[in-house]
Amino acid sequence: MSGEPGMGEKTSSHEHHAVGRVVRRKDGLAKVTGAEQFAHDIDLPRMWYGRVIRSPHAHARILSVDTAEAEAMGAVCLTYADVPKLKYNERIVSTPPFLYRDRQVLADKARHVGEAFAAVAAPTEALAEKAVRALKVKYEPLQTITSVEDAMRPGADPIHDTVRLEDAEIPIENNVAVRRNVEVGDIEAGFAESEFIIEREYSTQPIYHAQMETKAVTCRPEPDGGITVWPCTQSIHNTRQLLGEIYEIPLHKINVKKIAMGGSFGSSIQMNSVIPICVGLALKSRHPVKLVTTREEDIHDHVRYPTNIRLKLGLKKDGTPVAGHMHAVVEIGAHNIQAFPFLGGLAGFWASLYRLPHMKYEGIAIYTNKTPTCAMQGFGAPQVTFAVESLMDEIAHELGVDPVEYKLRHYIGLGGTFWGQGPAVKSIIRSDGVSELLRIGAERIGWKDRHAPGSQTGRYRRGIGMARGFHTSGVGHPKATGAEMIDYSGAIVKINEDGSVDVAQSLADHGGGTLEAIAKIVAEELGVPIDMVGMSPVDTRTSIYDVTTHATRGVYAGGAAAHKAARTAKGILLDYAGRVLDVLPDSLVVEPEPQLGQGVIYCPNLPERRITVGELAKLCQLNSWGTISAVESVRQVNCPPAYVIYYVEVEVDTDTGNVKTCRAALGSDCGTVVNPDLAAGQLIGGLSKGSGYALIEEARWDPETGELLNRGFWVDGKTPAMGEMPPLEDIHTFFSDTYEPSGPFGAKGLGEASSNPCAGAYANALYNALGVRFYQLPVTPEKVLAALAREDAA
Amino acid sequence: MKTRTIAFTLNGEPREVVVRPNDLLLNVIRDHELLTGTKYGCGIGECGTCTVQVDGKPVLSCLTLAVAADGCQVVTIEGLAEGGRLDPVQEAFLDHAAVQCGFCTPGMIMTSRSLLDEIPQPTEEEVREYLRGCLCRCTGYASIVRAVLSVAEKGA
Repeated sequence: MSGEPGMGEKTSSHEHHAVGRVVRRKDGLAKVTGAEQFAHDIDLPRMWYGRVIRSPHAHARILSVDTAEAEAMGAVCLTYADVPKLKYNERIVSTPPFLYRDRQVLADKARHVGEAFAAVAAPTEALAEKAVRALKVKYEPLQTITSVEDAMRPGADPIHDTVRLEDAEIPIENNVAVRRNVEVGDIEAGFAESEFIIEREYSTQPIYHAQMETKAVTCRPEPDGGITVWPCTQSIHNTRQLLGEIYEIPLHKINVKKIAMGGSFGSSIQMNSVIPICVGLALKSRHPVKLVTTREEDIHDHVRYPTNIRLKLGLKKDGTPVAGHMHAVVEIGAHNIQAFPFLGGLAGFWASLYRLPHMKYEGIAIYTNKTPTCAMQGFGAPQVTFAVESLMDEIAHELGVDPVEYKLRHYIGLGGTFWGQGPAVKSIIRSDGVSELLRIGAERIGWKDRHAPGSQTGRYRRGIGMARGFHTSGVGHPKATGAEMIDYSGAIVKINEDGSVDVAQSLADHGGGTLEAIAKIVAEELGVPIDMVGMSPVDTRTSIYDVTTHATRGVYAGGAAAHKAARTAKGILLDYAGRVLDVLPDSLVVEPEPQLGQGVIYCPNLPERRITVGELAKLCQLNSWGTISAVESVRQVNCPPAYVIYYVEVEVDTDTGNVKTCRAALGSDCGTVVNPDLAAGQLIGGLSKGSGYALIEEARWDPETGELLNRGFWVDGKTPAMGEMPPLEDIHTFFSDTYEPSGPFGAKGLGEASSNPCAGAYANALYNALGVRFYQLPVTPEKVLAALAREDAA
Repeated sequence: MKTRTIAFTLNGEPREVVVRPNDLLLNVIRDHELLTGTKYGCGIGECGTCTVQVDGKPVLSCLTLAVAADGCQVVTIEGLAEGGRLDPVQEAFLDHAAVQCGFCTPGMIMTSRSLLDEIPQPTEEEVREYLRGCLCRCTGYASIVRAVLSVAEKGA
């Protein structure tokens, strides 16, 4: 340890043979040759195809589904009458006291356009499609509620009468799914102490995840009454537990396979809606059934939480924040997938951005008849960071101080308390690269040379904006019981008889390289070359529990489990080696030997005492000493912030309102960088997604009918493509020289952080270009033109 | 529905397949030939992940009727590596971390191959223009552009 107290030393990557090295990713070969199997690609003997029927009404009781014609075609049909009626919550990350359950496999009521309420399976996909169209449905349309105001109006039709919380059915009043308030300090005294007050309202929109793979699943009924499932999921174990609970099948008879995920961005934390339906079809038809949703169906299934934030800040004359009051209104659509932790996340991320002695947070989540909302890269952080980073920029300009300096003065860094995800998840910050990143970014973008806000007059106006933020690294914290969220990972590490290593972990790789990092962590600890470590294909029968790969916890929390298992296995390895070499195990080291292509165990003081890892493992086998292996579960007791800073330069065409991204400087403090190339790729991916959120993407519904108006990537929606990105030479990525003492080899998270500050940076860049503040996302060309027209009129 | 037998070469091998007039090339490749490297992403030609080469040209197989491939040479991602040797584009995607989740990768690589066949030395702008119909939600595209340009630099 060196430097400031609590600031870990940087273990530079040249001391590592695996961590921090750039190598070809292990799953890359399968992905570039088309061999990788995704949920769409599973094909089984005797397999049938499933299709679901989705409601054309936003809110309707399903009075009857006549299946006679479909069945006469040879299809097996599944309706409300055929499925268990248990209410569940599809995201069992929260513990039972905090889990609001309003879902059923198939319901007798549709709560949004596109909600599935019956399904068919047939020997061919064409017949399944024909059969699903032959279902005759009687609906009783109910009041369509498409706004928070309408939902809360007295006399509004209840979207859910009751939901289940533990064993009780609790009533839902005024369509309020859940409220959550958090208070710190004395808010009245805080505002009384304040010398000026600023209050603003920010709105953020729902957007579609737009993961490239639509949700799909294949299920095979097993002779023993069990089921094997190949799903899109971020958690095979939670999927298994939910299916066991719903269908009352013992867990050992349910096997959920981990397969590659074609993107998710949070939309598969929960068990996707088609998974239990497909299980029902397979159990009823006694055939394997594959159910692949179309893009249009998928767009109807999940969006990011739209959030309206009213934020009032009380400050000292010098700009020191004293008190803050935030109202957050979240329209959650038809189902409460995770509104309670989301409301907590908003509060926690707000509390962790800038020091605020007195704060009051009031969050409310409202049901409407729209697509269900769920986590999407950031879980509240993009929303709250947009609001806070915009407001802090505005205050800095009011005060006439540099926003970078102002934010550096008041942000929560080293030694401060970070709320990893809501008030129940807190830890002390032990690594912090913010000032370093802000300094580097300012140089790369030319911060000091930017125009004065609103000083330009031509058609094209450029502006530079900055925002900072973070995501948590997992939701670990020190309390032993009473956790709101489960947060642990497991790993199995096994040393093979040729010196290679198998790692079995149910952690999911979103594509960012989590499993690549795990392999490097294990290789580093064991002292074997990275190419001798394999990430095993796993399923729920052969792996141990991992909660889900969310909350930017893969490398930090999943990596900690793998690291611990590798350490334990290494201890066994050295014990055996000590016996064989007749030295004390503590005198031994393991290092990769490039010429042998594997790890070598030797005693530095007696260098002739040496044996390769493979020779030792083989000896263990021949002597029947057993397999060198370890199984470990780990919950981290910290949740370090994965800081990210953004500087972007935009060019506004004041004739068209179009906003072009010209340059970007993106910095990450992820502690030790385990996969440098993939980490840079995550940041740039964050820029692409974040710019879509800031400027163009928005899911919209017809207010009368509740019909979703965007059903595509481009035709009636917009998703950033290659043309929207700045040229290569104008995208800068960089990493701070930090080391997280609680992380594996000093690493913490990165993934979700990569886009969290993005919208705030764009809003601030637009202010710099035009001298106009934007408080509503996305800042579309129409909004830019309207704002310019208002300016002209004023 | 009337069926028709079409003959084409798929990754260099002759094929005869009985198809219906409305069968899509994508479904023939995936469901009949079980070559699942070619992906369904949107079904309406918006995302590019279903791209294959037909007679050397990039084609959206989700919008192409299978009968249109009659007599043609079809190459999918599985056919790009010749004799087990990766195409330089595939190598470049690995070396430049241009692969994240991997779902857009087959279409992205097939389109990039066509680009380089048509314009062996493209500018960055040309790469971005040619590939603008291929969506990727993970990478932010920079690594993909870099990978394609690196192939051109090596003259492969």
